[in-house]
Amino acid sequence: MTTTGQTTKPKIVFDWRAEAATHAPGSAFEMAEKVVNKLFRPIPGSSVSEEGKRTHKVTVVGVGNVGMACAQTILTQELCDELALVDVVEEKLKGEMLDLQHAAAFLPRAKILADTDYRVTADSDICIVTAGARQQEGQSRLALVEKNVSLFKKIIPELMKHSPNTILLVISNPVDALTYVAYKLSGLPPNRVIGAGTNLDSSRFRWLLADHLDVNAQNVHGYIVGEHGDSSVPLWSSVSVGGVPIISYLKQKHIDYSPDTLAELHRMVVDGAYEVIKLKGYTSWAIGYSVASLVKSVLRNQRRIHPVSVCSQGFHGIEDEVCLSLPAVIGRAGIVSVLDSPLTDEEKEQLQTSAKTLALIQNKLDM
Amino acid sequence: MSFSTNSAVAQHYTIQRRHGTPTTTLLLSVASSAALPTSQKGFRRGAMFTREEKEVKPKLVFNWRAQAGEHAPGSAFEMAEKVGKQLFQTIPGSGPPPAVKRTYKVTVVGVGNVGMACAQTILTQDLCDELALVDVVEEKLKGEMLDLQHAAAFLPGSKIMADTDYKVTEGSDLCIVTAGARQREGESRLALVEKNVTLFKNIIPQLVKYSPDTTLLIISNPVDALTYVAYKLSGLPPNRVIGSGTNLDSSRFRWLLADHLHVNAQNVHGYIVGEHGDSSVPLWSSVSVGGVPFLAFLKHKQIEYTIDTLTELHKMVVDGAYEVIKLKGYTSWAIGYSVASLVKSLLRDQRRIHPVSVCAQGFHGIEDEVYLSLPAEIGRTGIIGVLDNPLTDDERAQLQKSAKTLTEVQKQLDIY
Repeated sequence: MTTTGQTTKPKIVFDWRAEAATHAPGSAFEMAEKVVNKLFRPIPGSSVSEEGKRTHKVTVVGVGNVGMACAQTILTQELCDELALVDVVEEKLKGEMLDLQHAAAFLPRAKILADTDYRVTADSDICIVTAGARQQEGQSRLALVEKNVSLFKKIIPELMKHSPNTILLVISNPVDALTYVAYKLSGLPPNRVIGAGTNLDSSRFRWLLADHLDVNAQNVHGYIVGEHGDSSVPLWSSVSVGGVPIISYLKQKHIDYSPDTLAELHRMVVDGAYEVIKLKGYTSWAIGYSVASLVKSVLRNQRRIHPVSVCSQGFHGIEDEVCLSLPAVIGRAGIVSVLDSPLTDEEKEQLQTSAKTLALIQNKLDM
Repeated sequence: MSFSTNSAVAQHYTIQRRHGTPTTTLLLSVASSAALPTSQKGFRRGAMFTREEKEVKPKLVFNWRAQAGEHAPGSAFEMAEKVGKQLFQTIPGSGPPPAVKRTYKVTVVGVGNVGMACAQTILTQDLCDELALVDVVEEKLKGEMLDLQHAAAFLPGSKIMADTDYKVTEGSDLCIVTAGARQREGESRLALVEKNVTLFKNIIPQLVKYSPDTTLLIISNPVDALTYVAYKLSGLPPNRVIGSGTNLDSSRFRWLLADHLHVNAQNVHGYIVGEHGDSSVPLWSSVSVGGVPFLAFLKHKQIEYTIDTLTELHKMVVDGAYEVIKLKGYTSWAIGYSVASLVKSLLRDQRRIHPVSVCAQGFHGIEDEVYLSLPAEIGRTGIIGVLDNPLTDDERAQLQKSAKTLTEVQKQLDIY
């Protein structure tokens, strides 16, 4: 932090105390210093250093719509004590930081930092990567890959340098390929690199079913796994309502249905994101909530099961080293374990096809 | 996914099934009114759901059951009906729900950055059961609604609706108006007024028509003038028309002081009142830290300070919004939280004191009928009362000056 004689760009990190070199007579800082020492007096003999903190720090890379929706939801749900924002566009970055800081009276004390320099991310418990070109209308997620690989080659090593103990949470699309890329670039063990995967698809799926049945979405369980994209696999065998497995229920009660009906429900989920993109240009709120739920499971060691993008080699007959979504127990260590849900032969096959699609993409990447 | 037109009968049926209340109290009691131009939707206004045979734009309201006219064999709806009936069996003899609903419904008018930040923060804090979004741009409106609905597994309790038609706002406990041209870089809030008055002449009467018992919360800038406009256009009593005013300015103020003193912002109290803008008045006499009145403390401990230091702190607050606008183009998150805190106080009858834009006539020697921010107790009936905090002569003079500035602007408005 040495400054040269010439004018340097003002330091972005909004830290009064770092800029408090300006104890000019009459400045607010000068007054504050005088006041503080009289208004708040420590008990004699106290040692009030902040060593040994157990506070949670979250970094969000990318302050676009997705990054900010994640940041804001995380703050509102009080999931961290420090939040660091990183991006390349200085003005936007600082503006977003200030906008969050201005809400301080409504939020519990959270320290909000921002910089284009990754130094600001030091010691993060979780680093959420949302940076990257976004899906255009009609563009499939896989078409984005190459652009975002180059970006990750800059981002991931920087994050690791400043937070070697962190857990990476990749949101940028195509999330499965990029989770794999992040895993390779980071040098982390596989449990500490998580992709947002089909966490949101499954949420949309559960909502769709719940809305059809006029019941609360939290009583509808079911996973969509595989690629977060067109070849995702709805595990109908995993769907239950109030604990009642739905497919066996339909059979037992002799309620007719056709696979087309099920396929249509799945298609509505896959199309869900494209539809929102077409209508408002991007998606943000839903993915923000989805990410916040993952952050909570990690930071608070919830050991909840989420379908997220994980290294799936060895599961369900998948032979390639690919990342794709499987229901996994998420806790402080990241991916604690993968649920060994029984799949039907068909589901297994679809999953393996999804894996093959992803392996093909991965093989073409210049890592 | 396409929405086909639905028959009035299906809509009757599905509403009844979902809510279990007599349908006559709901959407069908629309009196004919000249308020909406007929071109807007292609329907004849006031007609009770007769549909023109020509092509109508698909109805936006994302209501599966309203569209459930299509019980085509093999459709998911058909299957769901069959499953639902067997999976969930009502107890024989069950009756409909009680007539009095106690669920909260909030409307947000305008799905721009501010409107959506408000909507999302309100949902995350679980402040309402139903949320209605209204705007004029259909695609954006529907996209925002879907994006929120897709979060349902994380926000299961809330019903989210949207339409360009104000019918969707029916029965709202609170209507939040964010619609309007936003401040451009360097543009003062007062320069926006005229543009937004015209807009309000469309918005306010519609809101009150569909929710005569509602409370209006105005966010659009310039908020003081527009709260006055909303008050005049609505015919509501003054306690039920509130402007977000200096609630956020005061938050920024408290944060600034707290950050200087290295203490939690919630232990720093103090109000900025008057105009939400350049002539706002920091009530230094109201500032306390941990209950300790701040200026009195400085005097008592003989800590010197100059007025310039205080003025500078105030200026940083006023400039705060302009700075964010300059950097990211608009403000959203902070105002979203500010609004959510007001919503909570209103709906949950918190009786908390917020500095908000109220009808200030008769307070602190203000003679004009003008809206500006004063610390007010907020609860279910809106503004319960205004805090009669003692002001210094200087503060009083500044407040009256702020009032005069605002009255000048108000006089020039063509409300009628």
